[in-house]
Amino acid sequence: MSALPLQGVRIIDACIYWAGPMATSLLGDLGAEVIKIESIQRLDHLRLLGGWPSPDGYEWSAVFNGVNRNKYGITLNMNHPKGKEIFKKLVEIGDIVAENFSPRVMENWGLSYKELKVINPKVIMLSMPGFGTTGPWRNYVTFGPNVEMVSGMPIVSGYKDGPPMMTGYIADPAAGLMGAVAVMTALRRRQKTGKGQHIDLSQIEAFTGFMGGPVMDYTMNKRMQPRRGDRHPSFAPHGAYRCKGDDEWVTITVSSDEEWERFCHAIGDPAWTRLPKFSDALSRYENHDELDKLIEEWTMERDKGEVMQIMQQAGVAAAPVLNYGEVLSDPHIEARGFFETITRPVTGTHPYPGFPVKLSKTPIKIRKPAPTLGQDNEYILKKYLGMTKKEIQKLADEEIIGTKPQGWAFGMEAEEAISRLKDIHTKAE
Amino acid sequence: MKEQALAGMRVLDLTHYIAGPYCTKMLSDYGAEVVKIEKPGLGDAARSLGPFLNDEPHPEKSGLFLYLNTSKKSITLNLKSATGVSIIKKLVKQADILVENFSPRVMPSLGLDYKTLKKINPGLVMTSISNFGQTGPYRDFRATDLNIWGLSGILYECGEPNREPLKMGNNVSEYVAGLYAALTTLSALYYRDEGGVGQHIDVSIWEAFHTMQPSMTLVYSYAGFIRKRAGVRFPWGILPCKDGYVGFFFPTQVHWESLCALMEMPELREKPEYETPMMREERREEVTAIIVSWLKDKRMDDVFHAAQELRLPLTTVPNPEQLLDTPQHKERKYFVDIDHPETGKLTYPGAPFRLSETPWQAGRAPLLGEHNREFYCKRLGYSKDDFVKLKEEGVI
Repeated sequence: MSALPLQGVRIIDACIYWAGPMATSLLGDLGAEVIKIESIQRLDHLRLLGGWPSPDGYEWSAVFNGVNRNKYGITLNMNHPKGKEIFKKLVEIGDIVAENFSPRVMENWGLSYKELKVINPKVIMLSMPGFGTTGPWRNYVTFGPNVEMVSGMPIVSGYKDGPPMMTGYIADPAAGLMGAVAVMTALRRRQKTGKGQHIDLSQIEAFTGFMGGPVMDYTMNKRMQPRRGDRHPSFAPHGAYRCKGDDEWVTITVSSDEEWERFCHAIGDPAWTRLPKFSDALSRYENHDELDKLIEEWTMERDKGEVMQIMQQAGVAAAPVLNYGEVLSDPHIEARGFFETITRPVTGTHPYPGFPVKLSKTPIKIRKPAPTLGQDNEYILKKYLGMTKKEIQKLADEEIIGTKPQGWAFGMEAEEAISRLKDIHTKAE
Repeated sequence: MKEQALAGMRVLDLTHYIAGPYCTKMLSDYGAEVVKIEKPGLGDAARSLGPFLNDEPHPEKSGLFLYLNTSKKSITLNLKSATGVSIIKKLVKQADILVENFSPRVMPSLGLDYKTLKKINPGLVMTSISNFGQTGPYRDFRATDLNIWGLSGILYECGEPNREPLKMGNNVSEYVAGLYAALTTLSALYYRDEGGVGQHIDVSIWEAFHTMQPSMTLVYSYAGFIRKRAGVRFPWGILPCKDGYVGFFFPTQVHWESLCALMEMPELREKPEYETPMMREERREEVTAIIVSWLKDKRMDDVFHAAQELRLPLTTVPNPEQLLDTPQHKERKYFVDIDHPETGKLTYPGAPFRLSETPWQAGRAPLLGEHNREFYCKRLGYSKDDFVKLKEEGVI
């Protein structure tokens, strides 16, 4: 196996839900050894959110399984003194400690940066609560959807005649990505100086950084940018157009007058394209509704993949709107080898999105699927704390570690749960 | 002043528009020396994109450019001239990192492919950001943020069922790709300095953006269904109140009960048809109508604080004016004022994360070619006469 960029870096990962685990997952992808800590008393709740309400549903959370690969998984009851003691021993051998609780949680456990620094002076601690570790709202509760909301981005997103729009999830992985960048920035510093430090990452501040345009427009011109749907602030046409078939769409975006010329040529130069009301970007923008209708008459007759080919051959930016099944089998994605087929206990063999960046010297692969609950208890406790089988069994007897969650009481069989979920999603059609 | 985290790192920045500049902004604001190589005359394409100060198009007054290029230096250079290419090669010798986001055929066509640059500087980390990556059948295709949303799978499930699929504003996919580029560039540099070598990094904006929803391809593979567009999709949503919008999220039973308590409707908790999250999702239109009618005469801040008292993840959805006025942002001094010779002082979004020992700092964005003399004369040793000659020949 070839080398990995972060080989030899060890991360003690107390993150839960999505943003924090995304940060450590990316660092794990890059070669760090990540030891993820949950407890049987309190699972990483992401197992619950994305799972099925069935007895082994906590192993079926697609989102959990997606953002916890390349990690070891252990369980540790942090409210028990022995659990805390083990955590502190792991901190001793860790380079990075990552967490995304409300700021008071680590403080209440006596595991703030100040205290961790005493255990390990070189440690880098990443704290990434929703609102950051200071300020009047620091203990307010937020999840990914809230981060997306509070950034203000939904206000400038949505149909031009509709309410603000959100995805409900995008801020979580985006903040996680920022968390990984933050760790690398601090790690670079430590590489040069040997010194650790504390990272205070407010997920909301991190995601608000994507709002440069609208914020600057307000601070420069006191303008509140309107919702524009899929349109661009100045170029036209720019939108999603219906194609042949049921709920099939293609996106076409024209970014200059030259590209408009190429577009007209690609659709066979119909007479309407020469009308003065479509002659330049501004007039096309003003007559966007009418323009969209005319374009859609053309796209409706065609398959979305065919439209992409016609447009791209002519030098016009266009791409089909793919559903997730189609992403999996897209020929370009296949040629890039983006998805990796991985076998995991309980869930079996499935394609997982791989690392979206190719590093020529140190290629990134999924080396290990997301851990089942407590899967690596024995391995980690033996390797790093030198524990015997007997000692580990004692911890299990005391319910400090374990592999079965407490308080997971769903009666529905997996098949029934899935079929009800399917039903809900089909109704939305 | 305390030293910054990335002090001493040298970055050659051949990027333009959003994804590339956002990547190098991550490096420059934390202390790396980032030198933007800009096209003589026009510069980075973002200089000609709005919003502009007072809506007056001007290469030094684009808010987007100013924000994305803080703490960087700018030199102009015509890459299409032989002298231009030889100057890049000289600069490569002194650089740790080169970042570019041209379409994949551009750098090789200039004779600046990784193989060539590696020979000049084996320790170089070269990062290339492109829509489809450096390989594969769509490599040379064009794309914008909306096209990437469409390809990612995310667009398909966003928006109202009977209308066109809907993306968010602000070119999110470009920002995401910029962060992936920063992450992998820093990782590759870490590797190099642990005894490794330089390498070429290939960031695909499409693949990067797909990872913002990594689970739905898995759901498809696990269970065989694909989510359709559903407007407000439980358990989250944005709803109007008296003076703006609030957004709610009630992922678990406890949160649902808190929401019932907040609305002072304990009877909702008892209703068997709303008992489980699945049942509520099935009846989301009914439940939404109840919340909307309750919110009608409430102020967003009041609802927000009352909900938080109950540990219910309900928050405001601020417009830009309200965003800048957020008490939490004010207390943490998130927004920062940056002075600039052409625009005066303006307020910018600030540090995306704070390091306890090594501060973030945003210097202003550079004027086009502002650092020409410093670079050509001091760093590269051109004489005054040669410098004038470069100008006359249109190289800079």
